[in-house]
Amino acid sequence: MGLATNADQLVEMAVVGYVSQPTVRGYIPHASGEATILPGMSGMIYNARVGDAAFGWAADHLEPGASIAHPDLDADYAMHYLTCIGNRAFVMSGLAKGAEGIVTGEHARLLVDLPPDAADEVGVGDAIQIRTLGQGLQLTDYPHIFLKKCSPRLIASLPIEAVDDKTIRVPVTMELPIQIMGSGAELNPDFVDQDLMSGDRQLMAELGIDQMRLGDLIAINHADHRYGRGYKPGAVAIGLCIHGDSVMTGHGPGILTLMTCDSACIEWTIDPAANIANYLNIREIS
Amino acid sequence: MSAKTNAPYVVSVSVQGLIAPPRMPPLPAMPYSLAADGTPFLMPAYGSIVYNVSVGDSAYGWLADCVHPSVSVKLDEATGNRGLNVLSCVGNEAIVMTGNAQRARGTVTGKTGRFSEQVIVHFDPQVRQELAIGDKIVIRAKGVGLAFDDHPDIKLKGCSPELVEALEVTTNSDGKLSVPVVAKVPPHLLGAGAGLTSEGGSIHIQTADRQALAEAGLDSLRLGDVVALNDYDSSWNHGYLRNAVGIGVIAQGDSPRAGYGPGITLIMTSASGSIEPMIAPGVNLKTLLLDG
Repeated sequence: MGLATNADQLVEMAVVGYVSQPTVRGYIPHASGEATILPGMSGMIYNARVGDAAFGWAADHLEPGASIAHPDLDADYAMHYLTCIGNRAFVMSGLAKGAEGIVTGEHARLLVDLPPDAADEVGVGDAIQIRTLGQGLQLTDYPHIFLKKCSPRLIASLPIEAVDDKTIRVPVTMELPIQIMGSGAELNPDFVDQDLMSGDRQLMAELGIDQMRLGDLIAINHADHRYGRGYKPGAVAIGLCIHGDSVMTGHGPGILTLMTCDSACIEWTIDPAANIANYLNIREIS
Repeated sequence: MSAKTNAPYVVSVSVQGLIAPPRMPPLPAMPYSLAADGTPFLMPAYGSIVYNVSVGDSAYGWLADCVHPSVSVKLDEATGNRGLNVLSCVGNEAIVMTGNAQRARGTVTGKTGRFSEQVIVHFDPQVRQELAIGDKIVIRAKGVGLAFDDHPDIKLKGCSPELVEALEVTTNSDGKLSVPVVAKVPPHLLGAGAGLTSEGGSIHIQTADRQALAEAGLDSLRLGDVVALNDYDSSWNHGYLRNAVGIGVIAQGDSPRAGYGPGITLIMTSASGSIEPMIAPGVNLKTLLLDG
């Protein structure tokens, strides 16, 4: 039996975005100084989905699945702030009209996973409507733990354990050291992710961080993500890997905040299967 | 041994900006920002003419969010502002071109990052009395392209030849560049600015945890202090890399926001750790560039 929530008080509201054309930044310098042009941001990615590797692609900030945006800035912000991980998404126009997908991330655009047969038929510009549900969600017995962008569906799917009246425990694939948390520190934790900094390649290998997969749950110790993203000894943030690695200094796979507490009231266990592809039954992964 | 540079070949070029007004988010957004503990606050932030905060003063204690000492300069046109922000170097001379303080001279003391993108210019307090928002300020930009003859793995960024000279950097017996600093910032206390450009802008010390700040010896910094960044490579952006070293100046004051605090303008970096920061008291732009 899952933890109690206030899900029955939440309002379910539609937002719409449109499948975007890819963006390319031109040359990007690697940390080592060579410059390359790489795909990654925006567009419809056919061959990378939640559950696949976060490292190793010939891409920069790879966004799995469909990336959607709204051309009106205010409407785009509303889409960003209201959409939660695990929300249902429906293709509203084009050849794939009627197909159902699921929100798996929030980057500069919202990231929607579609079944492969629907993805094959999606065109740039097609409308995808999201049934947003989750802003305001709380764990009723743990009001000191902040949930960010968690849909009731996501929370219900996670094997969260009650440890005591202050503490919960969640499975994650790995823990990240606080000093490698980078780009996104300047943004608020209700708006997009924070990249882990993968520039120290040796450290990525030493800690096994380079084994991370898109959709993995991640723990960051000493991170307070309640009202910003900052260092606080004993605080904890639980995040979700939403986009792939980057060659840019200070960047790397994107970690989206899901839960945070300003003291040690979220514990974690390491479980290599802690991935939303499993929990939300998006696809089979090995 | 004093470290030589290619300064005679560095081009001096004019960039111009206007004294920037302070800005607030448009209605219906509330004017409040959130402190790290969630408390809403309303205080002056960046921009404008600041009459009573100067380089040499404390970076802490002001009732302001990342205050820029003295005067902040910007162009509204984005590409022009990028030129202003990237080409201006700490230590460059600034000249007031219009208004009551025409012909007054000042000095660039910092640059700020994403969301503000301004250049910070010191003018003496009596000059500030005569300045107006919108006054044109020309900066004689000089420093982009500057490099050390014998330290190819050290990059200079936003650093004027005058500042290099004033710092009296030397090559030590290990072949590293010895740079005097007042403190070293550990990587876990660097926050906002990670992953953003190191050619302009700022990377912030994060100060929400005052005990960690004190333990690192960073709780009495002054505006204009020269500091080292430990385990951070700023060759192309700012990012974590073991053994890399950066050098920067404290350009902006403290902030209550999570991930924020005094803003650093980077002036040097070495991914391979070829910079040896040497702790020395009082290494500050006030004495290096402004006094006398």
